[in-house]
Amino acid sequence: MTNSSVIGSLEGESRRTRISFSGSALLPFFAFTGFFLIWPVIAVTLRSLKGNDGQWTISNYQTITHGSYLHAFITSIKLALTTAAIGSLLGALFAYVAFRYAGPRLTAILDSVSAVFANSGGVPLAFMFIASFGVEGIVTKVLKNIGIDIYAGHFTIFSFTGVVMVYSFFQAPLMFLVFKPAVAGLRKEWLEASASLGASSFTYLRRVAVPILTPPFVGAFFLLFSGGFSAYATARALTVGTVPLVPIIIGTLVDGNVISDQANLGDALAVGMIIVAAVGMVGYIWAKRKAAKWQI
Amino acid sequence: MNKKLSKISLFILVGVLLLAIFILPLLAATIFSFKGMGGKGYSFINYQWLIEQDGFWPAISTTLRLAILAAILNLSLMVPTMVFLHLKGQKWKPLVDAICILPLIIPVVSLAIGAQVAMPGILQNTEYELVFFYVVIGLPFTYRALDTSLSSVPLKTLVEASRSLGSNWLNTIIRVITPSIRSGITAALFLSFALSLGEYTITSLLHWETFPTWTVVAAQQNILGAIAISVFTFAAAIILMTLIGLSTHKGSGREIVEEEHNYGMAE
Repeated sequence: MTNSSVIGSLEGESRRTRISFSGSALLPFFAFTGFFLIWPVIAVTLRSLKGNDGQWTISNYQTITHGSYLHAFITSIKLALTTAAIGSLLGALFAYVAFRYAGPRLTAILDSVSAVFANSGGVPLAFMFIASFGVEGIVTKVLKNIGIDIYAGHFTIFSFTGVVMVYSFFQAPLMFLVFKPAVAGLRKEWLEASASLGASSFTYLRRVAVPILTPPFVGAFFLLFSGGFSAYATARALTVGTVPLVPIIIGTLVDGNVISDQANLGDALAVGMIIVAAVGMVGYIWAKRKAAKWQI
Repeated sequence: MNKKLSKISLFILVGVLLLAIFILPLLAATIFSFKGMGGKGYSFINYQWLIEQDGFWPAISTTLRLAILAAILNLSLMVPTMVFLHLKGQKWKPLVDAICILPLIIPVVSLAIGAQVAMPGILQNTEYELVFFYVVIGLPFTYRALDTSLSSVPLKTLVEASRSLGSNWLNTIIRVITPSIRSGITAALFLSFALSLGEYTITSLLHWETFPTWTVVAAQQNILGAIAISVFTFAAAIILMTLIGLSTHKGSGREIVEEEHNYGMAE
């Protein structure tokens, strides 16, 4: 067999594989998400449009846009915006510093620790903050000994401010993980080019790095917003209902702890949350388009 | 000189922030968890209480099993999908992008209610139904990690080189693409695994018992025990993830990770 015929047969084989690959490559993805993601959402939406008698109605939606339910939506949005802002700024700072100064081994450790922290939005986190900043907490006591009483004002760990503190604990590491690949995408050539044009590293940061990283930053901000908006376990364990948040109300309705005269109210609240988050996602899509400009 | 000064102040700033947000709560909870009977003295009594509780070991084994399965399923679904999108599926990308962002838009609480309504009985009767929803919850993060990583390598050139040397697609994905996006895959793996380890909302609403839901029940009896559980959870998760992280950073992807890391280092 000559060289050219070997190459020829390989090409023929690869062409066949290529065709079958492109034809079926996305099927598993669409089948999986269709069944485990889209279909459950359709089911909830349909049920939210039904009343106690099983007839189609919008009465569930009339209820959730008034009174205490409306107030819960406002509180949830405020919480999500505040924690996304704090988390994204801190996380971006950590990502930049880690990228510039940490070696591969430290980077690996930082990745794993961040992954743990970012997903720690659960009950354990609430207990840890009670141990630190609760009335009997260790940090509270140490600060009191040096003359700072954090409980002198209105602060409690069970308040809105308390929840903001606890959420930053998982928002910032999440930002770190999501944003670090974008920072790592900064090309060495850009730094060299700006340096050879006489730019200081501050100028490089201000004129090159920040403009390029702004779209991925905004995109990540919206990811954090959604995470903060629908976080459930931490807030529930921490506030025991003292801060009214939509996911907690849904959880209580679903668990059957509260008897509601409207059976499918929880479904309507859930769809309401989807609508709020969808509005935020317009910003994400915009940011995504901008970011694509610098991708190679 | 000025550069050095700004570098030092940057490190101090980061150090103070890390201390206030992460190290203090962890430290305080750790000290608290070693408090003795009635808050007097220090001992291992809270940890002893924890291990002696019924269901401690079964809950841990269930959680690990589900998390491993979810991570494997997630990567075997998403790596081929993302590689295809970047190579020749550009027209599909907006749709896949939109689908992958849905788990963030849809609150986990409502996904759980939807699962109860929509899933067939045969799936609802096994704890392995959670694996599928752990994968769904992880999608936005694996998508972004893989997408960013794939965007910063010259994928087309790599593939053309590999293909012109006679490699088939499977080989190209495993031996050329996978090593070059190793940082993205590692991040995706971490996110998926850690997310599954700590998942509480969907697990509890679907009435399964994993370690996170078990701890909540156990915690109701004993607040010091609850804090011991929190510390234990964090320590175990961090040790586990660090071991995985260090082991996946060895081997063939090492050079590329280091090379990526070097971008922006030259001064």
